Formats: sequence, C-alpha cells, structure tokens
Amino acid sequence: MLNQAAVQEIILQALNNINDERGPDEQLTVGLDTRLFGADAVLDSLSLVSVIVDVEAAVSDAAGRDISLTDDRAMSQSVSPFTDVNALTAYILLLLSEPA
Amino acid sequence: MSQASFPNTETLRGEFVNLRPLAVDDAELTLGWRNANRARFLNAGAASVEQQAKWIAGRPASEYNYIIELTDGQPIGMLSLTGIDRANRHGEPGRFLIGDEAAAQGVPAAVEAMKLLYELAFDKLELVRVCGIIAANNTLMIKWQKYLGMKEEGRLRNHLSQNGQFEDAVFLGLLVEEYRKTSLPRMNFLIAAARAK
Repeated sequence: MLNQAAVQEIILQALNNINDERGPDEQLTVGLDTRLFGADAVLDSLSLVSVIVDVEAAVSDAAGRDISLTDDRAMSQSVSPFTDVNALTAYILLLLSEPA
Repeated sequence: MSQASFPNTETLRGEFVNLRPLAVDDAELTLGWRNANRARFLNAGAASVEQQAKWIAGRPASEYNYIIELTDGQPIGMLSLTGIDRANRHGEPGRFLIGDEAAAQGVPAAVEAMKLLYELAFDKLELVRVCGIIAANNTLMIKWQKYLGMKEEGRLRNHLSQNGQFEDAVFLGLLVEEYRKTSLPRMNFLIAAARAK
C-alpha cells in the first residue's frame, strides 16, 4: 500500500519530468502546494496530460493495480484533484483505499 | 468523396479559445513564436518578417491555418489542418505551437484548440482519419497525442533534421471512431478540469 509520502513523491517526479523537457528559463517551481490546473495554475494542458499519464503509470506499478484519474468521479469531487499536489495526493489515496 | 465543406475564413469558437484564420498581419507575431526555443520541433521557417508574410500569403485555399486566441482576443499559438484528401477523407493536423506559454497556464488552450480542429476535421469536413508525424524526441507532444487517442502507426528513421542532426519521426493516426470514443471524452474532461475550483 502506498502511503502519502510515496504518492507525493510520484507526483513530484511527474512534475520534474516536465522540467526535464523545458529550458533553463522555463522551469516550473515544484512543491506540495504547486497549483496544477485551473486558475493561477502552473501547468498548461500538455503538461497536465504528462502528469496524469506518468502518475497513473507509476501508481499502477507501485500499487499493483490500475487507477484512473480522468473519469467522471474525479470531476465530481468537491475539490478538484488537479487543484494542487496535495489535492491529487488525497484523491489517489482515496482511490487506493477502496477495493480494486 | 465527401462533399462536406467549411470556409477557411471563418473563426472556430470555443469556451476558452477561438481559432481565427491566420492573416498576413500575424507575420511578426508568428515568426517570433517560431524562433523561440519551444518551436524547435517544427520545421525551419522563415528568416524574416517579410518571408513569413509571404509564406502566410501563399497558403493554398485548401489549407485551414489558424491563430489560437484566448476568448479576449489575445493570440497565444497556432494550429493548422492541411493535406486534406477529399477522395480518401483524411487530413493532417500540424504547425501546432503554443507560442505564449505563460498565457496558457491553467487554461485548456491546447486541448480546446485541438478539439475545435478535430470538430472541423471529423464533423464539418466529414474526414474519417487524421494523421501526421511528430519528432521522436518531442516526448511531451507524443505522450499528449497518444493520451488523446492517437495510435502510433510507424516510425520514420532519420526523417527530420534538427540543428544538423537527424532525428526519427513517429507517425501517428486517429480514426473518427477513436476520436468519438477516446479523444472527445478526454478532451471534455480536461476542459472541465480547468473549470473546476
């Protein structure tokens, strides 16, 4: 079972993967309160997709089960999972706490 | 052969962005974008504003070339649908660039722009397939296009010259049924994610 720190690390690594594709003057500031998407966010939709794909793959590998971050349930959350790293972490832990 | 048509002089309107036809007056702006580092995956373009203006003026009537604008009119990128084959009903999305990345942060600009272009291709022009190549080292774009439903159909070895070095190109394609089943729901999800609080 992945814990909070492990999930956070997966998300931060996905953000760092985007920085690997960017030039030195285009680096994202990556942290737990990094706003992902929506108002005042740092990601455009290309980068958000990269984070979604990388996080889904890494969580599936580590947890031994598939998760989907882009279904109707994600959009029905009172706080969007893509608000920031903490919100996405909480949503992933919620998914992993339920039976596969 | 499909008889469906749509004027390439008309703006395509979305919730966050519009696609308005590229004009000669956009030469300086688009040249600036093309000369930036983020455009390194596009083919080499014009060397001057005059050349860029001439290139824009010379686009054939069969092409759909657009500026991606925020709904307040701020231009942030460009996107085209070219290579349209009416008999075989396919076309090629391309010349895709978000030139003003800061203005696109938190906005589903790229995804809504591509959605508008796919609506043009599949709904208005009744194409059954879009396809094209992406430089193999443009990993972010390949990941994005595959997430949005495109399938890898081949690899063209040493197909592109980038800064004096040859690079493979990945050939991607999307069928109309894949667009409706995969691309459209995922595009709608990403657009909805930008609305969420």
